[in-house]
Amino acid sequence: MERNIESYFEDGADIPDETIEKLLRRARLRLAPALDRIRRPFARVAIIDSSIGRLLAAQSTRGLVALRFMDSEDTTDVLNAVRQRFDVFEDDAVAAEIGSEIERLMRGDTGAISARAVDLSLVESDFQRRALTRLRRVPAGSVISYQGLAAAIGLPSGQRAIGNTVASNPVPIYVPCHRVIRSDGSLGNYGGGPDRKLKLLRAEGFGVDRKQRVPADAVYGHWGSRIFCRPTCSAVRRAERRQWLIFADSERARRFGMHACKLCHPT
Amino acid sequence: MLEMDAKPKLNLPPPFDEAMRRHEGEILRFILRTSGDRDEALDLFQETWLRAYRSYRQLDSAEGLRPWLFRIASNLCLNRKRDRARRAKVIADVELHEEDAGAVWPMHDSALHLKSILRRLPNKQRQALVMRKLGGLDYGEIAAALGCSEEAARAGVYLAMKKLKAE
Repeated sequence: MERNIESYFEDGADIPDETIEKLLRRARLRLAPALDRIRRPFARVAIIDSSIGRLLAAQSTRGLVALRFMDSEDTTDVLNAVRQRFDVFEDDAVAAEIGSEIERLMRGDTGAISARAVDLSLVESDFQRRALTRLRRVPAGSVISYQGLAAAIGLPSGQRAIGNTVASNPVPIYVPCHRVIRSDGSLGNYGGGPDRKLKLLRAEGFGVDRKQRVPADAVYGHWGSRIFCRPTCSAVRRAERRQWLIFADSERARRFGMHACKLCHPT
Repeated sequence: MLEMDAKPKLNLPPPFDEAMRRHEGEILRFILRTSGDRDEALDLFQETWLRAYRSYRQLDSAEGLRPWLFRIASNLCLNRKRDRARRAKVIADVELHEEDAGAVWPMHDSALHLKSILRRLPNKQRQALVMRKLGGLDYGEIAAALGCSEEAARAGVYLAMKKLKAE
């Protein structure tokens, strides 16, 4: 017998909406607590177009989780790493916030960058977390050597471990891995390319000489005693020099609250 | 802006709660249709969303969301049906003959009839038909949900309709 099959699929033939709604209310009550037990924290992600290139950013409730230059690299690995630990969703507000902070940095205003909290939950080990936390305290306008940073967290010969840590820094710019240079005074490499490293350092007021090395009139400031010296000062023994912060000139060291050495009288 | 090319979007799926809000109704409807038993359907519904949440981070596009959810639901329904069939063999088909035991929602005669003939369709055809006619998915989405080609999805719906008409 021929029936009008289509009529079965009209609204009335299906389960009525009120029934679905009633069942949904019941189902939601059961589902919510079960979901809450396995829920991950939130992170908002966005693509940022800035004057130093396109970036991918992820921001959790605790701080900036990840930032990655997007020019040629594939960013799915970063995104996947973030998604392992966070529920992500796209939010252009993040692009606006981070983007404007980076623009301010490129104009020489470093305050916004250091004010934002970072969330180091993508960092693998405690050692790395400690190193990156310490690195955040290296002020804008200065640099530190890999060896110096290693010494600063109590591992004087750990420059290689520091090298790896800095290379895998999930939050560049905000955790200033561009401020870590080689002990010989050359800039060394950078995840976003050496050109960007130079650009960032210049924006922060750390100039380099024509060979892109630490300039000859740079001064060495001691983190603990807050005294800065000429590189030739007898107080700066060669081995120790590497554990110091390097400022492009005396003026910048003073701005960071350091005092001139009484022995070598840096100008 | 001088740049002519538009900023690329990440095309991530929406936040999970948003996805739930958008699709829970049709998923529940689909499960009720496929399973036919209300309590079991609620169970499967719960399991579908928990499973979806666990693997939500692997879903990488917004377009894939809907068929992906249907696929999870339909796989769970199939598993459940298979398990039940196995058990039913042991307890001598008792459950399978409990016609409409869980059907407590008010239904028209035509709906009751529909339910009984849906039950007799092969799984793939039934699911394709339910997704198409009751879920309103397009053939591409059904294909993604069932893991078959678009043509196979189309054929499934067609064959199911043909069988229904012959009833």
